[in-house]
Amino acid sequence: MAKSQKTAVGRRGFLKGAAAGTAAFVTTTPFADAQAQSSRPQEGGTGAAPAPTQAQVDRDAGNVRPPAAASRAITRPGSDLMVQTVRDLGIEYVAANPGSSFEGLQESFINYGNPPNRIPEFITALHEESAITMAHGYAKAEGKPMLALLHGTIGIQHAAMSIYQAYYDRVPVLMIAGNDPDFIAAHTAHDMAGMVRSFTKWDNEPKTLDEALKAIQRAYNEAITPPMGPTLVVLSTELQKDNAPNAQVPAYKPPTFSTIDATRAKEIAKGLLDAQNPRIAVGRLRTPQGVKRAVELAELVGASTSTAATNGPMSFPQRHPLCGPGVDTNYDYTLGLEAPGAQASITGPALAKIVPQRDTINVGFGGISGGANGGGAGRGGRGGGRGAASATPIEADAEASLPLIIDQVKQQMTSGQKARMQDRSAKHATANHEARITALTQALEARKAGWNGTPISTARIYAELWPLIMNEDWCLASPSNFSGGHNTALWDHNKPYSYLGGQGAGGMGYGAPACVGAGLAAKARNRMVINIQTDGDLNYAPGVLWTATHHKLPMLTVMHNNRAWHQEYMFVEYMAGVRGRGGLNAHIGSTLRDPFIDYAKMAAGYGMASEGPITDPTKLSAALKRGVASVKRGDPYLIDVITQPR
Amino acid sequence: MRNSSLAIASLLGAVLLNAQGGGRGNTAPANNPPPTSPVTGNAANGKNLFYAYGCYACHGYNGETGARPFVGRWGNLATEKGFIAFLRGRSNVAPLVPSTSMPNFSEASLPDKDAKDIYAYIRTFKSSAPPDVKDAPALNAILQAAKQQK
Ligand SMILES: Cc1ncc(C[n+]2csc(CCOP(=O)(O)OP(=O)(O)O)c2C)c(N)n1
Ligand SMILES: [Mg+2]
Repeated sequence: MAKSQKTAVGRRGFLKGAAAGTAAFVTTTPFADAQAQSSRPQEGGTGAAPAPTQAQVDRDAGNVRPPAAASRAITRPGSDLMVQTVRDLGIEYVAANPGSSFEGLQESFINYGNPPNRIPEFITALHEESAITMAHGYAKAEGKPMLALLHGTIGIQHAAMSIYQAYYDRVPVLMIAGNDPDFIAAHTAHDMAGMVRSFTKWDNEPKTLDEALKAIQRAYNEAITPPMGPTLVVLSTELQKDNAPNAQVPAYKPPTFSTIDATRAKEIAKGLLDAQNPRIAVGRLRTPQGVKRAVELAELVGASTSTAATNGPMSFPQRHPLCGPGVDTNYDYTLGLEAPGAQASITGPALAKIVPQRDTINVGFGGISGGANGGGAGRGGRGGGRGAASATPIEADAEASLPLIIDQVKQQMTSGQKARMQDRSAKHATANHEARITALTQALEARKAGWNGTPISTARIYAELWPLIMNEDWCLASPSNFSGGHNTALWDHNKPYSYLGGQGAGGMGYGAPACVGAGLAAKARNRMVINIQTDGDLNYAPGVLWTATHHKLPMLTVMHNNRAWHQEYMFVEYMAGVRGRGGLNAHIGSTLRDPFIDYAKMAAGYGMASEGPITDPTKLSAALKRGVASVKRGDPYLIDVITQPR
Repeated sequence: MRNSSLAIASLLGAVLLNAQGGGRGNTAPANNPPPTSPVTGNAANGKNLFYAYGCYACHGYNGETGARPFVGRWGNLATEKGFIAFLRGRSNVAPLVPSTSMPNFSEASLPDKDAKDIYAYIRTFKSSAPPDVKDAPALNAILQAAKQQK
């Protein structure tokens, strides 16, 4: 006992001594009391604390021994070059839960460069599953990957479901895992990436630093080329820590995207220009640039469009004047962009294409093999015209093909056609606006059901929130299907990131971390993230609330708190019913009661401003206003709302 | 075989959920007057049973929201007898795919007495009288903003 006290004092002294040189940068010490005391004269004088003995250090480290001291001075560790490579790729964030297998890399991320810890900034994750889903949400909002670091074997295993979801969702996520052959044996493996190979796009475990830097660049390129997906580079601690005085970051070559050929571009342009009533069906494109080009093409040819913007990101602006059924729903030429189209459909390669190389152990995940558009997971857009058969998809990247079509349209268009298209566009705009008002009027009538009821209707949450954010730059990053999907009819999804869609593979525990990832994207861009948060989903890894608070992310969380995994409750209830056993026990294992969870307190525990639970619908609007105001100040906010189950 | 059909079933579940979340959200609330047929059960007890049997799961706590709101529609709730017949007549085959359909409630799993109490409670439901769109500031703001987008 006496010994351990002595050790603690020794350690604190050690920390104090170590902190002296960097005191100006320290904002919070681990013990506030210790900080307060440190300005007072200490008993025993103010002399520097003695350095700890080796025995003290050993004890402090428990069974975790410190790395062996390098026999030579490391002036330029390999990990600095790794970080430089990541920085040159423009990667904004790296999320990780710490692990010694990448301590070299972590040290470079936070200390290398001028300034250090910028592009990328280190984001503290409390669970690897959260780190990956943050990257998933970020990439959906921005159309480009961020990085996540994973501890050898165990970190990868924690991350697995999230990796799977990003894979299914065809979202680029860059991952680096550490492999430390000299430390804890259970954290090493001779084929680390093998655990997740069947649901990643590409992986590599380089043997030299030069190969490692190239592998990071290649992993980035593989992640962002269709079919997009998570990629993993495994880096040994040796490569991270060894001195590399002469190594260079290799020249980066951006990837090429497969496009349609010139003849096809000509044909499609002609088809659009010759048609009396052309239509463009837009699914999910890759980046905001692609969305811009889709808008340019539609405006050039005066085509009415359909959008997937209420299913997920990177699609046509929902309330663009050309978006809607148009003045006439008999379309004589429909072009599909990552969506079916009756006359032409440009669709990137399906996930099924990479399955033979990736799923070598034949796990055979369901829903991937079929369909030109990746199968499963509700991707892509709708609406190649009512009942129209779809053309055989042309396998190419629609986004990269758009400039070719736009060029051809510009070349081929006569002045007569131009006038006709302008006239048609104006008619579409009027018709679409009328259709919108009719649909909205009906939706408002429908969604006001239970408006004054207690608990609060899910529709009321979306309806009260929309007027408060409609003039802000916002991103709804949580899946809205369990909460009624009321945004679809009531809100305007006009930005590539307005709504980020579903989980990818239906895995719960996605909404909260995806919102944090979208919050990272939003922070530097003066945007706010809306998180309508189901209770079951939050409880898988609620530590993301701390991450949001710690990094001051502009995220408003409104609980859709039905005190249950309600979807499953309904399933179990039905099962009991059809077996003639009644619903009395259906709550066992599918509800969150006895006790109820207090989410305002949970948020407060993680340092997040919060209020609730709110049950009275007339109190909702004021709470939402406080929430929006807080988020606009840069402080994330959580409002617990007790809701109707659906 | 069993495994793969299960995998498909749970996937299907995930996809189906998309559709289920919205329930009948796009159908305007119906406004049929409540039934006037006799009620024999105990509404106070029925309230507890409405929760315990999980009726609220799909019909909302007030019968106005969720997958199958019934206030203003009434339909199978016109009479106590009709309601009980409806409960007994639901699907009773073992389903392959997870479902949120209305389950079957046999006499053994939900006795007539309980059914009558639940019916009595349901009959106390009234519309929570949603306002006209123009009278609810949020709803009105949504409509006016959309109109101005032209
Ligand atoms: C990782 C994972 N575990 C379990 C499930 C099964 N599951 C599907 S829906 C659901 C309930 C989710 O509860 P909540 O997020 O509160 O939404 P609610 O249905 O209550 O609206 C669960 C557990 C899943 N999809 N993913
Ligand atoms: Mg829930």
